[in-house]
Amino acid sequence: VAETIEVSDPRPMVSELQVLGSICENCGQTSAWRRPRCERCLGGTAPTRFGPGGIVWSSATVHLRVGHRPPPFTLAYVDLDGGPRVLARLQPDVELACGIRVQIVGTDEGDVVVSPFQDDEASL
Amino acid sequence: VNQSRVGISGVGTSDFGRFPDDRVEALAWTAVTEAMDDAGLEPGDIDAAFVGSVFGAPGIANRVLAGVGLAGVPTYRIEAACASGTVALHEAYTAVASGRYQRVLAVGIEQLSTQFAGPIVPEATDPEGRAGLALPALYALQANRYLDTWAVEPEMLAHVAVKNKANGALNPRAHLSGRPPTLEEVLDSRPIAGPLTLLQCCPMSDGAAAAVVAPLRGRRDVEILSSAFVSGGLWNSSNADPWGLGSVRAAAQRAFAEAGLTPGDVHVLEVHDAFTIGEILTLEAIGLCAPGDGATLAATGQTSLAGPQPVNPSGGLLSRGHPLGATGLAQTAELVWQLRGVAGERQVDGAHIGLLETMGGGAAGVDGNACVVALLRGPTAVPESSAAHREEPA
Repeated sequence: VAETIEVSDPRPMVSELQVLGSICENCGQTSAWRRPRCERCLGGTAPTRFGPGGIVWSSATVHLRVGHRPPPFTLAYVDLDGGPRVLARLQPDVELACGIRVQIVGTDEGDVVVSPFQDDEASL
Repeated sequence: VNQSRVGISGVGTSDFGRFPDDRVEALAWTAVTEAMDDAGLEPGDIDAAFVGSVFGAPGIANRVLAGVGLAGVPTYRIEAACASGTVALHEAYTAVASGRYQRVLAVGIEQLSTQFAGPIVPEATDPEGRAGLALPALYALQANRYLDTWAVEPEMLAHVAVKNKANGALNPRAHLSGRPPTLEEVLDSRPIAGPLTLLQCCPMSDGAAAAVVAPLRGRRDVEILSSAFVSGGLWNSSNADPWGLGSVRAAAQRAFAEAGLTPGDVHVLEVHDAFTIGEILTLEAIGLCAPGDGATLAATGQTSLAGPQPVNPSGGLLSRGHPLGATGLAQTAELVWQLRGVAGERQVDGAHIGLLETMGGGAAGVDGNACVVALLRGPTAVPESSAAHREEPA
């Protein structure tokens, strides 16, 4: 990202480890944004939240500096449970097999961050 | 739309490489002049121009045309990511086929060396660009999905680079035309993203290319049998296919249907191989093989220069380079030379039907901003015996 240019942040917003999205009241299409109308059918939408759980569609470790992210860093497309596909930072920086369960653990300078799913009850 | 037969009567390109000290317009002047000479046309013969460029400055199209006697010609500038030049060709074809214009110039131009110190910086206004999705990462995500889905080993990707760089070594205009690397050298080159190593990524290039599109007339004209243009639909958690695959498939199916041909009828292909996985997914989407078999095509020699269906004889984007807006018309020029039989050392024997494919993307959640697939047919007369495409037209 160019240092000198400020633009409104288009990334999904995360609150309490969930993406603030919307769902179409007509066709059920989900979005990772609070959009007034459905991106598929233009139907009306309701605000909803997705996550923290999801599965990795694919992941890849990047060995280039991109914006504020020093290499290596790992990106993943994550299909949030019952919700949209979001691009997230995967931590730690290790590629995961497709289909592995992950969960949103926070954000890093606006990037959605996911990590492998930890079953807290099982570890008790 | 296709009321009359439409052909490409001339093509031209600049050299491809890093030319930060040249004016970007000068690259295009070289390409346009060669295409006009190749078509045997004067500036007054051109009715309109479609100019593809991604990062070209505002006004670039008019500055280019004004330098080669074409000021005053109706001019359209097109941005369609990596497919900008191919969309320019498609629009030129559509304009001629519909009778809107008679003789149309399609131009592609890009100078990346003066825009970026390293790789292309992802677009900050795009949700995924802002999240760090550099283009090699976008393709790496598709590559890992592909390798996982079909249980393919990463070295199968590298075979595409070995093949295309061997072809590029025979292309004097290519950005990377030196000794082609071995499979081990491709795999051992610097990791860039996921399974993609440096030699599996196209170089950042400058260059320009042009084509003259007109009603089919001359004995050297290459006919555009069909051209299909698709902008991607939504790509989200309902899509199991890798990104962009559906768009290429849709464009290819339409292009084959309009031309009355099948994938098996094609003798030579120039397709979008910005990254090795791109060629594999594209060939599957086109229907050259079954899903999951694309990774075997380069490794088995099926798509090598001497194979039954050579892909990217020019060296592809991996060797010729990828000046984004210019790429589609550079692919077009290669196919015209191949179908005329004047491609020199990298000539594909018996090439009569060619396929052009370019897919470009970068808008989050969209299955590719644009994809064009076109089918071309060589002159029906005996191919010219010349071995060099740089010589003056007969």
